[in-house]
Amino acid sequence: MKGNKISALEKKMSRQYFILVLPGFIIFTIGLILPLILAIRYSFTTWDGMSPEKPFVGFQNYIDLWKDSDFRNAWWFTIRFTIWNTIIQNIGALLLAVILDAGIRAKKIYRAVFFIPCLISALVVGFVWMKMFSNVLPALNDLLGTEFNFLLFGQKETVLAGLLIANNWQWIGYWMLIYLAGLQSVPGDLYEAAKVDGAGAIKRFFKITIPMLAPAITICVVGITTGSLKVYDLLVSSTRGGPGRASTSVIYQTYTTAINGRQYGYGSAMSVTLVVVLLLVALIQVKGLKKKEVQA
Amino acid sequence: MKKKRVLSLLLATVMIASLAAGCGSGGGGSENGEEQVTLTILAGQSTTDAGIEDMIDEAMAEKYPEVTLEWECVDWGNDFQPKMQQYMQSGLPDIMIGKAQDVATYAPQGILGEIDGQYLDRGLDAARENVTIDGKTYGLVYNAMYQGVYYNRTMFEENGWEVPETQEDLQAIIDDCKEKGIVPFASHMIDTWAIGNVTMQFMMNDVFNKDPEWGDKFRAGETSFSDSKEAQTAYQYNKLIYDNTYPDTFSLEETACDAKMVQGEAAMKVSGSWSIQSFLDIDENFDFGIFPFPNQTGDSKLIFEPNITIMTSAETEHQDAVNKFLDVLTSDKDLAVEILDYTKTASMLKDVTPTFDNPSQSDIDKYAAEGRIVDVTLGNNQLIWGGFQEENAKDIAAWLQGDETFEQCLEASDGRVDASSAQ
Repeated sequence: MKGNKISALEKKMSRQYFILVLPGFIIFTIGLILPLILAIRYSFTTWDGMSPEKPFVGFQNYIDLWKDSDFRNAWWFTIRFTIWNTIIQNIGALLLAVILDAGIRAKKIYRAVFFIPCLISALVVGFVWMKMFSNVLPALNDLLGTEFNFLLFGQKETVLAGLLIANNWQWIGYWMLIYLAGLQSVPGDLYEAAKVDGAGAIKRFFKITIPMLAPAITICVVGITTGSLKVYDLLVSSTRGGPGRASTSVIYQTYTTAINGRQYGYGSAMSVTLVVVLLLVALIQVKGLKKKEVQA
Repeated sequence: MKKKRVLSLLLATVMIASLAAGCGSGGGGSENGEEQVTLTILAGQSTTDAGIEDMIDEAMAEKYPEVTLEWECVDWGNDFQPKMQQYMQSGLPDIMIGKAQDVATYAPQGILGEIDGQYLDRGLDAARENVTIDGKTYGLVYNAMYQGVYYNRTMFEENGWEVPETQEDLQAIIDDCKEKGIVPFASHMIDTWAIGNVTMQFMMNDVFNKDPEWGDKFRAGETSFSDSKEAQTAYQYNKLIYDNTYPDTFSLEETACDAKMVQGEAAMKVSGSWSIQSFLDIDENFDFGIFPFPNQTGDSKLIFEPNITIMTSAETEHQDAVNKFLDVLTSDKDLAVEILDYTKTASMLKDVTPTFDNPSQSDIDKYAAEGRIVDVTLGNNQLIWGGFQEENAKDIAAWLQGDETFEQCLEASDGRVDASSAQ
């Protein structure tokens, strides 16, 4: 009798859970799963995005991708952008968080100042930095009589550096807050015990702070990496993928190929490869970093 | 309690009745008894066109108050094609405004309606040729731009430079400019479209004027960028510009570039009529002229580009209202002059002449009298913009920056042969 009651309650609970999950599941399926399935389907065709015919070509689009130097260049740029971004943004955000956690004066103001750029659209950020590099900073040169090269977006050698500056300026404050929250949850007695045992500041940072921040590091590394792999809007308003193709990311290349170039099938193949890479990278990072969290 | 119920019922009845009355007055008909119609319009605009929708709204409201226009204005270069793709899946707007070259892209898909002859007859005959397919005209060309080399007339006169007809003449001016510390060409290569645009100008005079079917031959494998000396020459002109322009051209925006030219830092700019708006905004007294970029044979022509082109949906449910829209655009001469003066463009309607002071008009008239004007739609139909010219321009920029060799740049264009046509 009691068992029956529990089972009825469990059934009722399960029904409630199902009802609660259902709206999210429907939105996720319509907004993400169905387009993904359609993209996979189109990637096996030479559809131009307009005509009713969608000629099936099997894996030809994927074979062509291997030979496509523009696509390879786009990946090369995206990989470099991602690696540098992940390194700079994580280290920078962590350093800022440590400084703000150290009890400096007016830290609330600094926190707000560092955080505000991430509230601005990446399109605006791109435009602002284009103006900075083309007009504002060169004007400073004129004013100070210096000859620094601020035209970072205009040369293939420096465009990556320019974009890293713009992107880090925007996002470093956001990730800093996550690290700051992590730092504030580290128990103070751990540091006191370490001090008693004679551990210096650097040792305490690497032996206590970093291990205790492992969950925050997982979030930041995965977030920055996947965000960088998907860079698009920043490029639209700043370099437009140039000069030449020097700052064309995978998504930028996919968009121009599929939409402007009317090669929807081929563009879909590009996007499918990006999804696969994103999944793999996220999976590897989460698995690897979670291990560290357990050890901590 | 009963009173309250009756009161509530009464209130509810009044609310429903007033709502029904409101709907009836707003949606069904206008003061003159005609049915209210809302037309949807997708307008792919150049920078010079933004704002003309308000002028058209005003003229429509005056003549046909029963027709309301619902505009969606997008950038032609970046967003018109994606929007059209989207609407081809979900249903087209009643009217699309693009460029003449769009007709060749969308008419073969069977989605465009034929434009009634009575409206086409109000336009110039020259406007019809490149928007007519199999004898049916799918676009109404409203205005036109001219493309070539804009030059600072005062600077030319002060330095005793004649308008160049050959490459040697042009080189002499470049050399003299350099000697005098003047930048020969203003350019803003940060905009890849600008590279693509001037390359088509070069292609028109060195390739398509000699062989109007060069694109077809390219697709048939009879010629290629790697084989054609003429096409290579057209690409090489970009290097001539790059070697003789601002060092920060890849960081310079169009307005800043134009400002430098107006202020006398540069002598010439390979561009189009869209620059006039910018030149005159910066200095209304700026004196400039235009000449065709000299080709190898010394017989280059000024480029003429039909710009605002109105297309209609083959499936529209409001053909009468669409015709009223076409009627206003083609019959309201005050509106036409207002639009032409605002966009600083030339008219494609009969008996309509813009009133703005265009310092380059005398040059245009001269080339027109000599029969030295050519419609760039020919080139844009032979080698389409989206996916081909636009992509080639990126490779040209990469070559200029030393990121690709010239041969790689040509090979990249050849590799895009399948994307070179709208068909």
